[in-house]
Amino acid sequence: MAEFTPAAVARLARDLFDYEMSADSAASVAKVATTMLADAKVLSALDLDGLEPAFSYPAILAQARLRPGK
Amino acid sequence: MANNHQLLDLDVAALGELYRRREVSPVEVTAAYLDRIEQTEPKINAYITVTADLARAAAQAAEREMAADAYRGPFHGVPTALKDLCYTRDIRTTGGSKILADFIPGHDATVWTRLREAGAILLGKLNLHEFAAGGSSNNPHWGPVHNPYDLDRIPGGSSGGSAAALMARSALAAIGTDTGGSIRIPAAVTGCVGLKPTYSRVSRYGVIPLSYSVDHVGPMTRTVRDAALMLNVIAGPDPHDTTSSSIPVPDYTRELEAGIKGMRVAVVRELATQLATEVEKSFKSALKTLEGLGATVEEVSIPFLATSAASTARTMIVRAEALEYHERWLRERASEYGPDVRALLEQGMMVSASNYVRAHRVRALMLAETERTLEKYSVLISPACKITAPKIGEDRVRMPSGETLPVLAALVALVAPFNATGQPAIAVPSGLSTDGLPISIQFVGRSFDEATVLRVAYAYEQARGSFPFPKI
Repeated sequence: MAEFTPAAVARLARDLFDYEMSADSAASVAKVATTMLADAKVLSALDLDGLEPAFSYPAILAQARLRPGK
Repeated sequence: MANNHQLLDLDVAALGELYRRREVSPVEVTAAYLDRIEQTEPKINAYITVTADLARAAAQAAEREMAADAYRGPFHGVPTALKDLCYTRDIRTTGGSKILADFIPGHDATVWTRLREAGAILLGKLNLHEFAAGGSSNNPHWGPVHNPYDLDRIPGGSSGGSAAALMARSALAAIGTDTGGSIRIPAAVTGCVGLKPTYSRVSRYGVIPLSYSVDHVGPMTRTVRDAALMLNVIAGPDPHDTTSSSIPVPDYTRELEAGIKGMRVAVVRELATQLATEVEKSFKSALKTLEGLGATVEEVSIPFLATSAASTARTMIVRAEALEYHERWLRERASEYGPDVRALLEQGMMVSASNYVRAHRVRALMLAETERTLEKYSVLISPACKITAPKIGEDRVRMPSGETLPVLAALVALVAPFNATGQPAIAVPSGLSTDGLPISIQFVGRSFDEATVLRVAYAYEQARGSFPFPKI
């Protein structure tokens, strides 16, 4: 099974988020991320045919119209 | 007239009756609550900010209006408190954090605008789990909130201050928010009523977000009727929250007393396993009560709902969206977060874009499965939490099977799936354990059918009988 290492976690945080993660945090996040990865495989195997993410255009449009000119 | 003690025991509906008969005044009631806050806060720590002067001024205004027969409705003169995640104009709104310790918003959250216009009196802003990102309300910046039934125990979270204040009788009604059970968990472990309405039923405008897609705002009260009364005030479309629904809002009290004879109620097998012994006993007793009221109780299976993968779909959305909101603060002020909240945000860095999008599609799948079940049943029922309130600082709990679970997992397992589905869900107390701790059940309904959820909860509550306040 694929596994996140603390070193990989710390590097991702640094490279993608410009964030210095402590060694303790990286170790703890690596465990959680490895579980997420395993569950993500289960999710990717589900039949999601016909189900789109519900990012609503009417809501986006309404927000755009609410926003004052800047 | 009634002494302070009797006034504090009243629910919203009963207080309204006394107001209408002019047997008590809002000034008298507000003074009783402010005294009670002074008395209980050293033990409970439910409030971050008490707005005593504003409350007295609002009470005097309410008294003048009532004297002129300008009665605004059931929330007129009701001493109310807000989770300190809700913006209040010119009043500090901390989110339970150090980062926003001095933040003073320029406008009100819509829920408070509506309650204020309905005549509610603001007692103050309630303590919570930092930024609503946890289930204990053990707040590192403002101190832990204590459970009124046992001061060594948590009141649940994240709306722990809301629940504790209701049952300590230092607020009569409160607002909570719920992203992974944060209304229903504290309601369950402190013995009050917590209603998470359907996603988009109540405006989120002016409420500090944890996760835009699964944050819900809702009533926390002492009785089901009070929750219905509060939902009547706060539900409905809001032009400031473009995700708020325009589906018409019924009078949620109209069918409360219609009973449940002939209704079909489904126990979801996957949400009724691995329970603490006394929780299981109380749940079985609640099922018998429902049958005694004429409902048919049947067991159903929704296998995916309680799986680790389903839970991960929800938490990936929460982690990613929470990180997006907090990213700059996290980069620049990481040390100002409590360790558990910082950890949740750091975990968000590991959610890929494709997994985030897929998690949203999985939500639709979970909703499809539960709505399909609810075509045959009026409501689903489960215990609200697997356990009673843990001790403050306790990380793991031992279940009857001998297995130990993380406290947070035991608290959220049965409630969080309905944040992903967005369906309405209510926690109602079902009894006390032998050591005097509240135990609760949860009813879940079809999307936008809060009326049925409230009707079943009310019927159950009436059959259960009165619930004892803690001795504090």
